[in-house]
Amino acid sequence: MIVSNTTSAERGIRSSALTRSTEPATDTVRAARKGRARTSPLGLVMLAPALALLVAFFFAPVVLTTIFSFTNMTSATGISGGAYVITPNLLRDLEWQGMAPEAAQSLSGETISVDEAALERAAAAGVDPDFLEEIEDELLGDEFDDARSFERELKTLPSRPRRVRDLKLAAEPFSQSILNTRFATRDEAATAIASIAPDLSAEDRNTVLSAAYTGWVWTTDNFERLATTPETARLITNTALYVGFTLSLFNVGLGLFLAIAIFYMPKTSGTIFSVLWLLPRITPVVLYTVMWKWFTWDDGFLPVVAENLGLPAFNYMKGSVPTAWATIVSLNGFIGASFGMILFSGALRAIPQQQLWASEVDGASRWQQVRRIILPQLRWPILFVTCYQSLSLLSSYEQIWLTTNGGPGNTTNVWALEAFRVALSNYTGNLQYGYGAAMALVLVVAGLALSIIFLRLFRFNELVEKPKIEF
Amino acid sequence: MTRNFSAWPVLLVLSLISLPLAIMYASVFVDSFTNTPPGAILPNEFTLAHWRFLVDPSIAGNIWVATLNTFIFALSMVVIVTTISAMGGYAVSRLNLPYRRFFLAGIMVMHAFPSVTLIIGVFLVLQFAGLYDTLAGVIMVKATLMLPFGIWIMKGFYDAVPWEIEMAGVQDGASRFTVWRRLILPQVKPGLIALGVFAFLDGWGEYLLPRILAPTSEFRVLSVYLQQISVTDSINYDFNLFKSVGLYYTLPVLIVFIVFQNRLMNIFGGGTKG
Amino acid sequence: MTILAKALRSTAALAIVAAASGAAFAEEYTITVWSGGTGDDSHYRVDAIEMAADLLEREAAVRGEELDITVEKQVWSGWDDFKQAVTLAAESGTAPNIIVSGHEDIGPWSQAGILRPIEDYVDFDAWPLNQLYDNLVDVSSYDGLIWGVPQDAESRPFFMSKAHLAEIGYSEDEIDALPGKIQSGEYTLYDMLDDVKTMQDEGVVEAGMGFAPRVNNGTDYWQFYQSFGGEMVDEETGKLVFDKQALTDMYQFFADAVEMGVTPATYLGGDWDVWHGNVAADAYGAWHGGTWHKSQWERQFGVDDFFGQMTFSLIPAGNENGEANTITHPLVYLISTTGSDDEAAISAELVAIASEPRINSLHAVESGHLAIGSAQADVPLYANDRWTTEATEQLLPYANPIPNNADFGIFWDAMYQGLEAAWTGTSSVEDAVNQAQSAVESGLGDGIIIR
Repeated sequence: MIVSNTTSAERGIRSSALTRSTEPATDTVRAARKGRARTSPLGLVMLAPALALLVAFFFAPVVLTTIFSFTNMTSATGISGGAYVITPNLLRDLEWQGMAPEAAQSLSGETISVDEAALERAAAAGVDPDFLEEIEDELLGDEFDDARSFERELKTLPSRPRRVRDLKLAAEPFSQSILNTRFATRDEAATAIASIAPDLSAEDRNTVLSAAYTGWVWTTDNFERLATTPETARLITNTALYVGFTLSLFNVGLGLFLAIAIFYMPKTSGTIFSVLWLLPRITPVVLYTVMWKWFTWDDGFLPVVAENLGLPAFNYMKGSVPTAWATIVSLNGFIGASFGMILFSGALRAIPQQQLWASEVDGASRWQQVRRIILPQLRWPILFVTCYQSLSLLSSYEQIWLTTNGGPGNTTNVWALEAFRVALSNYTGNLQYGYGAAMALVLVVAGLALSIIFLRLFRFNELVEKPKIEF
Repeated sequence: MTRNFSAWPVLLVLSLISLPLAIMYASVFVDSFTNTPPGAILPNEFTLAHWRFLVDPSIAGNIWVATLNTFIFALSMVVIVTTISAMGGYAVSRLNLPYRRFFLAGIMVMHAFPSVTLIIGVFLVLQFAGLYDTLAGVIMVKATLMLPFGIWIMKGFYDAVPWEIEMAGVQDGASRFTVWRRLILPQVKPGLIALGVFAFLDGWGEYLLPRILAPTSEFRVLSVYLQQISVTDSINYDFNLFKSVGLYYTLPVLIVFIVFQNRLMNIFGGGTKG
Repeated sequence: MTILAKALRSTAALAIVAAASGAAFAEEYTITVWSGGTGDDSHYRVDAIEMAADLLEREAAVRGEELDITVEKQVWSGWDDFKQAVTLAAESGTAPNIIVSGHEDIGPWSQAGILRPIEDYVDFDAWPLNQLYDNLVDVSSYDGLIWGVPQDAESRPFFMSKAHLAEIGYSEDEIDALPGKIQSGEYTLYDMLDDVKTMQDEGVVEAGMGFAPRVNNGTDYWQFYQSFGGEMVDEETGKLVFDKQALTDMYQFFADAVEMGVTPATYLGGDWDVWHGNVAADAYGAWHGGTWHKSQWERQFGVDDFFGQMTFSLIPAGNENGEANTITHPLVYLISTTGSDDEAAISAELVAIASEPRINSLHAVESGHLAIGSAQADVPLYANDRWTTEATEQLLPYANPIPNNADFGIFWDAMYQGLEAAWTGTSSVEDAVNQAQSAVESGLGDGIIIR
């Protein structure tokens, strides 16, 4: 957004100068200058849609991310909460952890008994009365160890439901087991446990209930994990390298070179080059990244040329660590260079021509001219591009994801990409929302810290001075 | 000026650096109309075969639906972003608001947020609003991501409008809103156009959000369409087809860009890309 | 005992009443099916559901009922975006009725409440589900319930180039005997490294092309863990097992392969089409892939004499701790909790019909997968296909699956990250193992046994 930062800053200064020079002493201006801020209802109305959207899709997600980062949320726990399920595996684990086998046994018992109570339950559930009558006649008093053998018996009865599902539903009321039943609340689960295993101690019941919860719980493990895993250091190094190289070589370095070169060039050829360098910025990212694949892959342009020249030819994008880095840095840099180019070009045009002429008359070489006159004038734009683009680069990963995807062997992985992969996109489908959110939060905090420094550097107060006109 | 310096060395270096870009873009054009024997660099025959996807949906799916979706996406972006930024920018530029400084600082900082890594939060909000897996939801998210930029740009343009214009209007008895609509908006038209074009380009190229937030094929946009045919591990994989679709996909962008090129230069460097 | 039935009793009652009153009007259903990792030759994963819908409609028509099923299908060529889409859609209640995914997803997804156990909707005692291989049904089960119906089976064989073996002095008989020697453990992974090194030294294959494992993360790498004696899960307790020695040996093996120059340090993260192209061009000495790759090589990459070009076998043992093995990674049809109980019942019926031997054989033969049931041996299409029958006989009996454990993904990620680190040399084998160990320890606590 901030290209215009300088422009708007200039405009702000210009308009304030205007205010000062014309100075019609209306009451309102005086009121405004007295600093008595009256809320403008119209302003609120006009800002409302923007506010609503920003709160919904910027502020709320940040808050949610902060919340998630203190949970163990994964695709197994789900996002929106869990249920209470007692499973055979769970009971086995609990036994393993020292729960009395009898206690576990009392919960796992699955017997199906055809008795009066069960028949009543079945009738209440709406099972066909004829069918129930047959069950009563044939099977009353029988017990079965598992549902499958009971169902086999049911299938021999003449008025059994035709649909498999209906048969299963009819068999269901006869089972008393609570295994694999999803209870929505802890209370429901507790009641069910109490009914099937009344002898279970309160302590055991609580252990079972806590372990039976399938949803996420609060934890600070994510941050501990981030702090202890060696992967963190590598990601930080990679991110620093990526931002550093792209920024210095391309966003600032190449941007500066382009701006100065175009500045010295006849207008037509200058336009051609500036349009060419703007293309990466407007080209859809999917196409742009595949163009790079075409350029660097095994049978791509560069390797074919290299082969003809007798140079080592391989898949430059993924074949070796240095070439992979070179690829992702230039790939991103080619997009970023135009940003600096435009900004610096604007600043160059603002340099008084007389200065340049004068230096030429004095016999300055081009290099001296650039060094002594142009670069000092570009100090602020360079600083600005550095600050601003480092933030953009820090959180960018789409291009890397679509090209090397962190390869070869995770050597070009950066923090933002890893956060994305952990939380949303990996082969095993094991999406760790909580851990990914913690990683994203680290980026948010880093971004915030950098922005605050950056706002200080750019005299934020000047940018946001009070409105000049207010009624 | 500076005629006494030779421009050639610089031009040469510049051309060398620009060569990869020029080659890449040229190849997109050339390859989509030609065939190249394997292992060679230069094509050996002209063909229109790679463009059959336009009429034959069996090649890569119906591209017209994807095009329509992308147009809806990009145009909605234009409408939402320009309208809301025009209003919001005016409010922060000219009207007294509580916490105005705070809001402006917030807007500037928001750009730095790794907004896309917050996507699980975004997903939850969308789901809550019932907008997950809808084009409308993706449009709103994408438009919101662009709002800080839009509001900031528009504020800059409003700041530059002489306030006498406004004063005159108000003294004639018009309401503040009317003044904004009738007198001020025309003054910032260049900004609105530039912002609109930018919103269009940004919406047109977006890939990540539609893919994650609207995965069902009905809402497939061109970027997702293009990505799907770029899966190298498939029988239909055909690089020239990919380039043809890519060129088709980029043409509207190029046209818009060429038409509005000068207007864009004002604000272009912004946006969210690295 | 069933997960949802209790909550659904009232619905069920209505359904039974409706069924009893005899629905005179047309029943209309829209069933969505999503499938991951599905390319051009595996379209029967979703098309089979469409065929099943057609059959079910006809059956209803014969009974004099009107049933109208619309099948909406969508496939993803990859796994990561597919799993992401399913998980997020499930979270918003819009998951497809039928999900075709890897069996290992049953663990996390059943915990998250995304799935209905399919055994509540279909009869595994009746045709066609009663002829499914028991071990595949086991693979589709988790926590005492059958959650899915196996969609296909495969195995991940080890291939070597017959021509290149001959060029370094193997006689035809020796080449033919090789799979047997691999199976008995006589020929190990390190013997293979020596052979491909010889191929490279003699200029039969180019440097770095001797051994070409899978180019990215996949089930396949667990085979090497097993080759060195690793167990993924403890049979007694059902817990995951982190076998430090096996993992060290496995990482060391790949580090050695890099050291010997038979595979590049930057190999992982390569591209499938390049790999396929090289296999087809007989540019590798040894490699491993999936049974389904055979059809890809033939259709897409121009292999015309598959059996003459390469040997196939189990993955060789790595050392005396391990055995030759192969992993099968069946996909399963899963029923989601989306939609009404009736929709789920229809979906499950469709899945059952799609598992008919004839229909499933279309998929198996076209895509080079293996049968899911014994009756497929009697389907001519399947029985007459040399590859499926040979692979079924030689590989399937020795194939084991990866565990259905909700936590397995964390172990898997850690294993692969460590492998990448050791392979690329960014850390030593020892560090990589320790890193993986700390990752599983922090992620799983005592959910995993460290050996």
